[in-house]
Amino acid sequence: MAKQGRILGVGPTDNTSDQRTPRQRLRLIPDVARASFVPVVPARYAANPHEWDMTCTAPDRPRAAGVPIEVTGRLRTASGRAVAGALLEVWSANHYGRYRHIEDHSGLQLDENHLGLGRVLTDDEGHYRFWAISPGAYLARPDIGRWRPKHIHMSISGGSSRLITQMYFPGEPNNATDPMAILMGDAFERNLGKPRETGTADVEEAYDFDIVVGGRNATFFE
Amino acid sequence: MIYPASNLLPATNEDTCGPYFPIYFADPALENLTRLDPGLVTEASGMRIILRGRVLDRHGELANGVVLEFWQANAKGVYRTPATEGHEDIDTWFYGYGRMRTATGAYELPTIMPGAATGRAPNITVTIFSDGINRVVTQVFFDTEDGNESDPVLQAAGEEAPRLIARHDGRTASGAEVYVFDIIMAGDNETPFFDDLES
Repeated sequence: MAKQGRILGVGPTDNTSDQRTPRQRLRLIPDVARASFVPVVPARYAANPHEWDMTCTAPDRPRAAGVPIEVTGRLRTASGRAVAGALLEVWSANHYGRYRHIEDHSGLQLDENHLGLGRVLTDDEGHYRFWAISPGAYLARPDIGRWRPKHIHMSISGGSSRLITQMYFPGEPNNATDPMAILMGDAFERNLGKPRETGTADVEEAYDFDIVVGGRNATFFE
Repeated sequence: MIYPASNLLPATNEDTCGPYFPIYFADPALENLTRLDPGLVTEASGMRIILRGRVLDRHGELANGVVLEFWQANAKGVYRTPATEGHEDIDTWFYGYGRMRTATGAYELPTIMPGAATGRAPNITVTIFSDGINRVVTQVFFDTEDGNESDPVLQAAGEEAPRLIARHDGRTASGAEVYVFDIIMAGDNETPFFDDLES
């Protein structure tokens, strides 16, 4: 059968997904035009030096409520090349499931010691590290009792490697009903942080989350 | 399901950026491609344009909280990539990558008219991230520029190619020519999107 573009899935019980998911099959990009679909993000990133520690708003401020965690991992392309000097933009809800975002009207509790925003760069071997507060789950669809499982958002920009994803937590009861997790199917496992010992880090839990940027874009200029 | 043999690592799944992509991460330098950074005396070569429009959902409503990324060649049709480092037609004052989050779903990108790359009509690649979807990509063309009839991407869009062509608005704003391009995520007149994972 001739190769075809994907038909995107609509997230079950996700109204926004229903409103915004293209219904037509995606078109294949003609070979002659393929490279033009590969944005290269200029490496001119901003990041404040304390942003790797999202458990407090500034180094001299108290820790936010909840469980402090460390997340580490390695960023690679599907061909195995480490992506060095890439920017990870990280955002997550506080212990109570609230984002400190002007458009979060959930009314859930804010935490005076929590911003939930951080930016870190990968090192020469693609490794990254940040601390965060283990985010709270929140009720996304009160009408049907559907929760968003706890998750941490990550946006990755490294040359032609580009990915927006989320890290989830193993064993969470709401994982199974999450619309995006349902669309991932068995591959959802790849988006789970893997618990590990905390070592000497001043946190209560630690997770490894290796990230692989798939598709051809990431490897175009290798 | 049987997967083809491959040495590739299994890719991390893309996921929605959700409704709360941090405004904190906005970078003014990426929201106006006509100069590198605010406050610098730098100007990209080429005709200044403003690409503006709306991102609309299946019901014709504005799609709020969308993250848009743009990617284009410079006025001479050269993309700034590792493959063109040191190219004689690189414009020192132009990168060609833009990013912005629109709270309402309306957007406006000041930039320059891209030149035609070999075999192509002038275009800007647009990537859309939003709550409810993973990224989708397309390219936008211009009704005043040559080469649209023979462009391979427009040809791949078939009868729907006109939906990828921005309309010259017949006026200028701040000295720039205004082009209008609405992105219709789903439903009637859905914008043709392309598959940059499978292609």
